[in-house]
Amino acid sequence: MKFTAKLADGDVNISKGNPLKEAAWLVGGLITILALLYIGLGFVAGLVAMHLPVKAEVWIGRKISAGFQDRSNHYLQQHLDGLIGALPADSPLHAYTFRIFLDESEKVNAFALPGGSIVVFKGLLQTVGSENELDMVLAHELGHFAHRDHLQAMGRSLLVVVGSWLLPGDQSSDILPWIMGKLERRYSQKQEAAADSWGLDLLNRRYGHVGGATDFFKRLAGNGKTHLAYFLATHPHPEDRLHRLETLIRQNGYAVRETIPLKKGWIEKRAE
Amino acid sequence: MKDFFMNNSDLVIFMVLIVVGYVSGAIAEKRHYASIKKREQEMVELPVVTIRNVHSDSDVQESGLVMGSAVISIDYFKRFLAELRNLFGGRVRSYESLVDRARREAILRMKQEAQRKHADLIINFRLETSAIGKSANRKRHIGSVEALAYGTAVSLRNG
Repeated sequence: MKFTAKLADGDVNISKGNPLKEAAWLVGGLITILALLYIGLGFVAGLVAMHLPVKAEVWIGRKISAGFQDRSNHYLQQHLDGLIGALPADSPLHAYTFRIFLDESEKVNAFALPGGSIVVFKGLLQTVGSENELDMVLAHELGHFAHRDHLQAMGRSLLVVVGSWLLPGDQSSDILPWIMGKLERRYSQKQEAAADSWGLDLLNRRYGHVGGATDFFKRLAGNGKTHLAYFLATHPHPEDRLHRLETLIRQNGYAVRETIPLKKGWIEKRAE
Repeated sequence: MKDFFMNNSDLVIFMVLIVVGYVSGAIAEKRHYASIKKREQEMVELPVVTIRNVHSDSDVQESGLVMGSAVISIDYFKRFLAELRNLFGGRVRSYESLVDRARREAILRMKQEAQRKHADLIINFRLETSAIGKSANRKRHIGSVEALAYGTAVSLRNG
């Protein structure tokens, strides 16, 4: 037999095609599927959140807020109770026993926990200039309770975790929760805007006017961050929130009067 | 613009890694294939066959084991593409070229070894492939493929 030296023809073992194109198709497909899944899961989570009894929510909340129980603050509680007293008689929020806790860290933030707990950071208290401004922040958090936002978010993230377990071949990947996290943030901007307008209404009931409502966002807008920075943030750009509130104030004909300045030195005073 | 990068640093870092992975991976692959094709042409005269015996033992002057092995690593982009393939199924194209390169490089190295021994041909040629770092799809894990080519180099009696 004669041996003829010859190279094999072509690269049969390598598939043809541009890998970038393949990547674009796959990423596009993944995002589409996840978006659909997210909307579907969000719908289910929303239904559950809306129909979960307050009792069950309080039970969940007790697990989460256990760490804050000893940080109650008499002054803040009074503020919150004032707002609760201004709620309309048929408000579903009367089913809750609201408690407020002070966190010593310098962050300018506040958040709502399931079951009627609100945590306020010391940094926020040092930033706000008036009682009305503080109440606007608290009313905003109450708005989250009214819309059951925290339950919806919890429900969705739970379903996302379950969903990522069910998807085959993805035990090792963390692309999924990562993209979901980004989607979640866009969604939460809507919730924040809704809580803003709900809070504004409550502030008007409490004081008879909405003076100080926009102060906090004016302060935040002054930090000079661009709109792009807020594209994937959990909260909308403060300027957008400010404009939305101003529009609401005009549309509803709310009065804007003098605000009540904060009492100095009360932050240190603790409830017994 | 700066704030966008600050707030989405994970996204930005990810994109940078993808671009770095793609560019460096593509350059390395292109160069490697150019080198493989050149050397394949140079060594085309040395036959490599899978038959186990030469025609007659009396023809053989000398024989010995020759081996060549090559380890090729994935890059960030290829891994990302393969991860997506893990979800959707189908041919993992991004890994195909890696295995192909590893195999051909291993054969070339084996041939080089045989040439050094002045062999006339390689018989009983075998090829093995193994994965190094099997959890390569997990973060911070390195994945590579090793190809090992081996056979018996044979020098024939002249005339």
